[in-house]
Amino acid sequence: MSDNTPAVLIDQASKWYGEVIGINDVSLAIDGGVTGVLGPNGAGKSTLFKLLMGRLKPNQGSVRLFGVDPWTSTAPYRRVGYVSESERMYDWMTGLDFVATLARLHGMTREEATARAEHVLDFVGLSDVQNKEIGKYSKGMRQRVKIAHALVHDPDLIILDEPLHGCDPIARTSIMSVIRELGSQGKTVIISSHILEEIERITEQIVILHNGRLLALGNLHAIRALLDKHPHRILLTCDDPRSLASQFISEDPVYGVRFPEEGQLEIQTNNLSAAHAILPRVIVDSGTAVSAIENPDDNLESLLGYLTGGDS
Amino acid sequence: MDAKGRGLSETVWTRMDRKAGAITELTIRQLRHRLSTWVVLAVGALVMTLLLAFYVDAIRDDFEPVDNDGDSVDWDQDGYPLGQENKYGTSDWDGQEYPGSGHYVMTGEVEWNDDLRYHSGNHTWEGQGHFDAEWLDLDYTGTRWSGIVDWEGATPCPDGEVFEDWWPDWGYACTYDDESYFVSGKFRASGAVNVPEEAYMQWGHMTLETYVEPEPASMYVDEDGILWDGEDISEIYVESNCQPYGSVYICNGFEVDDDGDCLVEMNDDNNNGIPCDVIWVLDADRDEIVDIRADYNVNEDIEEGKYQGESSHRTFIIGTGKMAFVMMLGIFIPLFLALGLVRDETENGTLHYLLSKPIHRAEFITYRLLGYLLLAGTYILVLVLLMALVTSLIGPGDSLIRLSDFPVWLGIGLATFLVLAAYGALYNTLGLIAPKYGVYFCIILGIWEFIMGLFTMTMPSASVPMLSISHWALQLIDAIVLIAWPDTLQYTQIATAFGIDSGLPFFWQPPVHTFGTQSPVAAILVSVTVLIFITLAMIGIGQSSFKNREIM
Repeated sequence: MSDNTPAVLIDQASKWYGEVIGINDVSLAIDGGVTGVLGPNGAGKSTLFKLLMGRLKPNQGSVRLFGVDPWTSTAPYRRVGYVSESERMYDWMTGLDFVATLARLHGMTREEATARAEHVLDFVGLSDVQNKEIGKYSKGMRQRVKIAHALVHDPDLIILDEPLHGCDPIARTSIMSVIRELGSQGKTVIISSHILEEIERITEQIVILHNGRLLALGNLHAIRALLDKHPHRILLTCDDPRSLASQFISEDPVYGVRFPEEGQLEIQTNNLSAAHAILPRVIVDSGTAVSAIENPDDNLESLLGYLTGGDS
Repeated sequence: MDAKGRGLSETVWTRMDRKAGAITELTIRQLRHRLSTWVVLAVGALVMTLLLAFYVDAIRDDFEPVDNDGDSVDWDQDGYPLGQENKYGTSDWDGQEYPGSGHYVMTGEVEWNDDLRYHSGNHTWEGQGHFDAEWLDLDYTGTRWSGIVDWEGATPCPDGEVFEDWWPDWGYACTYDDESYFVSGKFRASGAVNVPEEAYMQWGHMTLETYVEPEPASMYVDEDGILWDGEDISEIYVESNCQPYGSVYICNGFEVDDDGDCLVEMNDDNNNGIPCDVIWVLDADRDEIVDIRADYNVNEDIEEGKYQGESSHRTFIIGTGKMAFVMMLGIFIPLFLALGLVRDETENGTLHYLLSKPIHRAEFITYRLLGYLLLAGTYILVLVLLMALVTSLIGPGDSLIRLSDFPVWLGIGLATFLVLAAYGALYNTLGLIAPKYGVYFCIILGIWEFIMGLFTMTMPSASVPMLSISHWALQLIDAIVLIAWPDTLQYTQIATAFGIDSGLPFFWQPPVHTFGTQSPVAAILVSVTVLIFITLAMIGIGQSSFKNREIM
């Protein structure tokens, strides 16, 4: 296979289920690095992944993994690891068993499979529980076993469908570091999420899907920069909102303040980055105790709102 | 093995083997972790244990021989059974007539038309008349069972003329005033007789009595033995007796009527012009009896003790093989174990793990079925061997263990295995095509298969049952039985020909799909081919349906 062939190449692919559109005329090429696929529930992320994994056949257009159609050939799966969104596993198996059994489907011998399984379970940080039954695992452990099974054959492309879904913060952090590590190893990683912040902590390279369409593609910060030009809110929880407000109102990026609730200050800005840049200084100068800083607009919904032209 | 050899062994095939191994192993482990698997296997084992209990119960008592022609009975209670009386030509309805008993020889008579109606002498008499006695044998018992004159009970004769005013009873005597008698019946005496015109009188003597040892009744229970053990069928063929008829030989004039009960009253029930014989119909190779047609009372009293034991044993094995193994386990195990092989993976969402590996979906189905078959096949093999061991140890026969049973049991195992494969592939495919309602289709199919199985047993050559899987498995068992126990054919023929109570003709009939060769090997080949074809076709349908399926 030529090195020029991108790991993922989607050309004007559409997939619909009866009347419902899953993916609509999506063209995409991904090769190298970690790519986040962002979109609210129902945007078509899972449909896209299932097209990539040969579970679904596109109604129009083409899907290629390493230049091969995954619907007709299983050959690309030698180089692909897939973590599905499915929660169900063989609960009666131990983690080691599960990963080793699936490793054997790559043609490994029992010994090779066990050795590889131990290695990847160690990589995702499960070596101490590898001989426990999966049924006794926590949500985060289950997700990590699923990731381990996808890594067991050292794939070039790893596709993760909502790997952070339902995990507690500790599991989330460890999974994120695993994914970043994979990216730094030079693998192509595609990860989907409906939470912007999660993706932001892993990668800058994103694809945004909305209602089955490809809405945006590129660097998250570049997209963010676009957003900075739009009005934004920063919500501070503090002892003395009014005195803090007086400090902020004199600053350039801030054009307005509000007091939505007792002990809360809302700063309105049209340059989010600049506002964040002055934020620490102003707070320190004021001497007010600030217990929380939130960006209510800094989420996928508002991002989508801006991108689709709505002014929220 | 050196490094080079190891390198060579690493081929596409070994990789495929590893995948197959992984999927089959996973399948077996999954099935082992399901309660329903254990329940259905335990129920199967329980049924077999129950059947064995019934078998042991039946085989423990010896089989009582049956006197089919009733000639072991001493009807007239003279100490000689009917069979012995038949041999001596004496009547078994007359206690005074028995082998060695004297018999009456008539020397003269006065009949109704004779003019001379007077006779005197020392005779044994029978008839009616006025008798002037010189000597009376008061101990005479006669040879006939009725009408011995009772001298002791003689009463004065009634007034009036005999045959006008009164009628004497048979076996009666009365006295006149002049001490003469009127007698009516049988008696022995010396004197003169005057016979009225309305009566008759005959006289003669009894021959000397000789003692004949009474034979035991048991001699007449199994006396008409026939060639049932199949050891020398080739001897039946004698050129002068046997004519080819189509593809068979018809051999006339065989067997002897050992107890002579046919020869006494000859019949030609089988219409071949020879009374009291048996027609053997031999197959083209002249080594199998295809049919037996016996004249009435020939070979009717066979050695059932031996026959029943052996035929019950075979009936049990064949019946268990067909009903319990093929029709019960064969239909129910796949329903519980094979229906969800691929469907459940789809429904549980665990299929994603397996299908994200470089394994073709068609391969996946095959390996899943392989795993199921390994588990179910091992179970069947163990069950069959256990049944074989128990029945061959306690079954009839002189040897410690009946080795000839093992090929039959293994054949039953093979038939069940092929049925498990065919139903498994069928049910799995149905589960794939109709995930929701597949189970109902399978139940309907199971009922259809069961009914067709019953039809196959009663009418093996009917064409409708050929549309079922069970038909071919049952035919396979029939064919294997014919190879392992060739004389089973005779057992059924004997049961049918001589009306012996046996389940064998119901449970076993010769295989029909032999392309006219009558060869059980041909039947095995046909059945195995059909079953494997059905399996492969079902796998193929399942694969092509699954291959083009979008998995959500």
